[in-house]
Amino acid sequence: MQVREIVNIKNISPEKIFTVSEFLEFLNNILTPCQATIKGEVGERIDSYPGYTFFNLLDKKKSILKCFAFKEVISGLGIPLEPGMEIKVTGYPEIRKNRGELKFQIQRIELIGEGVLKKQYEILKKRLEAAGYFAPERKKPIPEFCENIGLITSEYGKGAKKDFLTHLGNFGFKVFFYDVRVEGSFSLYEIIEAIHWFNTNLPYIDVLVLTRGGGDWESLSPFNSEEIVKTIFASKIPIITGIGHENDQTLADLAADFRASTPTHAAKVLTDSWKLASINLNEFEKNLNSSINRRFKIIKEKIAFFERNLTCILKKEILSKQKRLDDLIRNLNRGFQTYFKEFEILEKEFKKNLFKIKVLIRNEKAEIIRLLETLVKHKNRWERKVEKLLRQQEEKLSLSSPSLRLKQGYTITSDEFGKIIKDPRELKISQIIKTRFYKGQVFSRIKKIK
Amino acid sequence: MDEKKFNFTKAYQEIEKINEWFEKEDIDLDEALEKYERGMELINKCKERLKKAENKFEQIKKKYIPKDEF
Repeated sequence: MQVREIVNIKNISPEKIFTVSEFLEFLNNILTPCQATIKGEVGERIDSYPGYTFFNLLDKKKSILKCFAFKEVISGLGIPLEPGMEIKVTGYPEIRKNRGELKFQIQRIELIGEGVLKKQYEILKKRLEAAGYFAPERKKPIPEFCENIGLITSEYGKGAKKDFLTHLGNFGFKVFFYDVRVEGSFSLYEIIEAIHWFNTNLPYIDVLVLTRGGGDWESLSPFNSEEIVKTIFASKIPIITGIGHENDQTLADLAADFRASTPTHAAKVLTDSWKLASINLNEFEKNLNSSINRRFKIIKEKIAFFERNLTCILKKEILSKQKRLDDLIRNLNRGFQTYFKEFEILEKEFKKNLFKIKVLIRNEKAEIIRLLETLVKHKNRWERKVEKLLRQQEEKLSLSSPSLRLKQGYTITSDEFGKIIKDPRELKISQIIKTRFYKGQVFSRIKKIK
Repeated sequence: MDEKKFNFTKAYQEIEKINEWFEKEDIDLDEALEKYERGMELINKCKERLKKAENKFEQIKKKYIPKDEF
């Protein structure tokens, strides 16, 4: 630790006089950046308060480190802190001004020793299980064909990355590799950060693979923590774990959406569906071809059957039509023969009647001629008679004509309107009358009427 | 189907469904032809996708957001 560099001790003058507070502050400035992980045994006296706990961390040489931890840090342990417990703590030292004591401020506390770790594991597992973190129905499904994979492991681990990539078949995967530590105090936070990073920056990724090689139970402690379980549970992207060897089932495995036993197994899980698909695609192709061929064969057979059937039906139909046609022609012939016979009889009868009609017409014609002759004779006689009568009438009429009377000296008297006067009593004194002569006429006024 | 938007999972699921459909006894020939053509098209696309399969590897550098990859 380059403490001198951090606080720039060189520049402090030996003559400088500090107050106690100033000096403690000066020391704390040096101490607090000294983050470290220390292992030891929990001392006999543990002072637990509602929000925090004090205890001593001891080693075999009887050295004592006074420790302070907030409640959340203690509860991260999963089991109660007990005297004699082997633990390792991560944090930084600080001198409490009001007590003048050096206290190690704990940020993370972990158990050491397989037995106690197993105990912690069982307790935590039970609690998280009861809270539903491992419930199968809450697991996210792994897409059948993952293409984009987020790989979270160590670049320098025990070959987990190499194992995974080697066994990942060539199916056009896009692997986004996020390098994290998989062991030690800081690994937990790096892994959590990696899961968060993918969820924030590449949320459309198909799957996250969290993997590391095998190790003892102690080295797997980041994968047996409450924090990792909660982070895996909260991830929107499904997570496959491939942690350690086949017998090591960590809490992270239990929380994962799919648990692969090793990095190789995780790669195989992602590859198998693609391998199977490439085989199945050929099968599907074969099936489709044979299905469609089978359909065609069935249809062809059906068509052939219909064809045969249709020919048969058509033949029958044609024969029946032909028979009906023959019958029809026969009936028609018979009908025509009868008709012709009747027609012959009719013709004979007609000829007989025609002769009779001819005789009749001839007789009628002679009668008409005779009548015409008589008519002409009568006409001439009548004409002469009428002429004579007319002449007689004409003569009679000319004797009674008014102009003849006028010529003989008679006159005709009429009133001014032309009405012929036959009785003078029809007239009045002073009335004008007209007297017509054979030649001309006279208008006179009446003076006296007798 | 647009090459860029080709989704292997969806195509594969559709092929599976078409295959199931062909298992039925009584099928319409026109529909069968249509489904056959669709099935073959998807199979070819899936095979194409499998042929072009070269894995790509990218190391994430924090604060680097390769959104263009999608």
